[in-house]
Amino acid sequence: MKITHLLFILPFFFCGCIEIIDDITVHNDGTGSFKYSINLSSSKIKVNSILALDSLNGKKVPDMGEIVEKIQTFKNTLETQPGISNVKTEFNQVEFILKVSCDFTNVVALQNGIKETLVAISKEKNTEIYNSNWITWDGKTLSRLIPNAIAVKAKTYENSDMDLLKNGSYTSISRFDRAIDKTTNVNAKINPSKTATMLRVNTYDLRQNNHLIENTISLTPN
Amino acid sequence: MKQTLIVLFSFVWLHLNAQKSEQIIPQEAVTVFSINNISLLQKVTIDELIEYDFMDEIHQELFDGSTDQKSLKDAGIDFDQRLNIFYGKNLKYELSGFTFGLKNKTDLFKVFDDFDAMESPYKNVDVYGSFFNNLIIQNQAAILVRVEPLESHVLEVTDSIWYSRGNLSPYYADFENGEDNPDDNVMNQEIDMDILTKNYNEMRDSVQFILQNAYFKEVMEGLFVQRKSLYSQAPQFQEQLTHTTEGIFYMDNARNFEKTNNLWYLKTVLPSLYTDIQEIYEGNIIVGDLILKDHNIEFQITAKYGEKLGSIYQEMNDSKFDKNITKYIKEDQAAYFTYNINLRKAYDKAFEVIVPILSKEKNQDISMNVLFLKLANEFVNKDALFNTYKGSMFGTFNGIQKVKTKKIEFFYDEVTFEYGERTSEAEEDMPIFTLGFTTDRPDIPELVLSHLSQVTSKFEKKENYWIYNNAIFESAPVYLINKNGLLIVTNDKDLADNHSNGYGAESISKKAVKAIKNSGFMTAAADIKIAASKFPTDLLQPEQQRLIESLKGKSGNMKLTSSDTSSNQTNVSLVYSYEGQENSGKHLLDLLNTMYLLTK
Repeated sequence: MKITHLLFILPFFFCGCIEIIDDITVHNDGTGSFKYSINLSSSKIKVNSILALDSLNGKKVPDMGEIVEKIQTFKNTLETQPGISNVKTEFNQVEFILKVSCDFTNVVALQNGIKETLVAISKEKNTEIYNSNWITWDGKTLSRLIPNAIAVKAKTYENSDMDLLKNGSYTSISRFDRAIDKTTNVNAKINPSKTATMLRVNTYDLRQNNHLIENTISLTPN
Repeated sequence: MKQTLIVLFSFVWLHLNAQKSEQIIPQEAVTVFSINNISLLQKVTIDELIEYDFMDEIHQELFDGSTDQKSLKDAGIDFDQRLNIFYGKNLKYELSGFTFGLKNKTDLFKVFDDFDAMESPYKNVDVYGSFFNNLIIQNQAAILVRVEPLESHVLEVTDSIWYSRGNLSPYYADFENGEDNPDDNVMNQEIDMDILTKNYNEMRDSVQFILQNAYFKEVMEGLFVQRKSLYSQAPQFQEQLTHTTEGIFYMDNARNFEKTNNLWYLKTVLPSLYTDIQEIYEGNIIVGDLILKDHNIEFQITAKYGEKLGSIYQEMNDSKFDKNITKYIKEDQAAYFTYNINLRKAYDKAFEVIVPILSKEKNQDISMNVLFLKLANEFVNKDALFNTYKGSMFGTFNGIQKVKTKKIEFFYDEVTFEYGERTSEAEEDMPIFTLGFTTDRPDIPELVLSHLSQVTSKFEKKENYWIYNNAIFESAPVYLINKNGLLIVTNDKDLADNHSNGYGAESISKKAVKAIKNSGFMTAAADIKIAASKFPTDLLQPEQQRLIESLKGKSGNMKLTSSDTSSNQTNVSLVYSYEGQENSGKHLLDLLNTMYLLTK
């Protein structure tokens, strides 16, 4: 089992009750910070039982040491990417909560940095799936969609626990220095000060329709 | 008249001496399932057949469309002969395959169309090969076989050649242990080497090819030159084949012992000890009969062993059953087992048989271990030890239940969308298991638990039981019930809270208790519909998962009972009763597959 998948893709589709948050702050000058959290706390019995196995569906299951090592490699690799700084990772091995955060000089640097890091640590032959753009920013509009890698991988996993996925959630938060004018996704909530928007979808629904978190956020002029 | 008699006599003689499928099973086979009445399988399609695990080693190249919609009947197979599925493994290679009677060669090759004729060095024997497998036909019998050198052996030989040529470790580059594709790293480092020199992987492939041919030849020479087959070399197999049941089973456990890889150290470093230990296993053969009845398949198994092993088993199984444990098995239990052994007697006999063998060894480590064993035998209070765990035990599986756990969840500020973490109650599915054993010394577990409760707050004493909080994956509790002469460990809260003295009227019937009491050292029963559908397959290894998957969708019961153990054998009976109208041949194959997975 690719550890990269275990951390970033597999839990999204394989495990049942899961919470994922991506939280991006984009300042007026294009710099910003990005936080990504995966919470498998409510599925820890299941995760632990999987980790207790040598293999699952013919794929090797990593042990805890390998996961921790891979997270460290991810951090070290992301730190070296141009335009990326202040990379932090935190992994709660009891509750299975992983948090990754970093600062970026612009969203292109963030996108490329994550892409290059995943390519570097995944050792996959097919790296095409990491090439698509999932975030753009032109100074007044931020467009976000689900990364292609996740959408493609979603189709490759069979899931016998589809019912449990219905309890999971994916939350996408975008924050700005100035007010939001409008969002294209009707399900997105805007906070009272209009500087942040939050979109929360069910993981099962997201697996079925990966366009659910697509959102283009237009800001008021400077 | 005289001529007619000669012709008749010749016909009878030829018929009696014709090569039969069971006579061309290689002597290297350790396990054989032989199906006598294969007409049962006429309706089973080849595609269904090759899905079974016992076909695993040879099925890949048959998935090319040639078998679509074809049944065994279409494949030119002689249904008057047995179908024999075999598996064997030694320290250098493993072989698997099946032998069968052949009625129509043309039809056979319409199905097995990947095989090309090869030059045969053996008289009256046709040899065919495909990428992995070989098909050999002698008269009206055929064997489809795969002989494959063990990876560990291939690597051992490759390394030997590789290093003797002055090469460095093939893994010297940035090889990360445990990565998925170490081969890529190995290949990459060779890119600058002379293209005429084989890199490590190429050499490994060459070694594998050479060894595969050599071992295949070894198997063939044994069969067709030395004329040694399992049939000719194993009288007990021959005897078993005289049974007229639907199928028979044979496993040479003595050779199973020999194939155990972790004994290589013993075999190479302490050969005399290895020989002595091997002697204990001599004659340890397991044979069985598959008997098909109306909606019922019985598997009668006999484990035969030599005097030394038999003496240990006999003492071990000479035990009084504690029927107290049956109070904790419910009438509608999804699955349960009971096991009844006399550990004290088994220990004494094992000490008597094994320690003298170990004592003969001059090896320093073994000598020190023997000394430790002898001193422990003198100083340890064996009465206390064997009264704490007396030997009767049981286990139950009670399906899946929701259990309360704690979880960390994110919460959001609806104004700022900032979020934090908080602990809350959660529910997770958990398989409910109970394991219990009889004890005459409840004070000893109580002593341990009391002490542990002083050390950690995870252990708490409740009115009827002890609770070990967060015992399972730091999430769910385990309950320890120490009363009525039993120590029971369970994650079943209902059992701990409401049935610590047993299930009373809800427990299994008196008739069932009597059956357990009379059935030797082991019983097991499962309601297949409930057990297979509820069993958490995620917790199992892939081959075990397949076993459970194969039972899903079926209904019926599986019961296992054993006889009293004598000094030379134990009988075990497995009865599979099924409902519905499904093809009985399919059920037979399912059971056979289950046994194959269990014995492989």
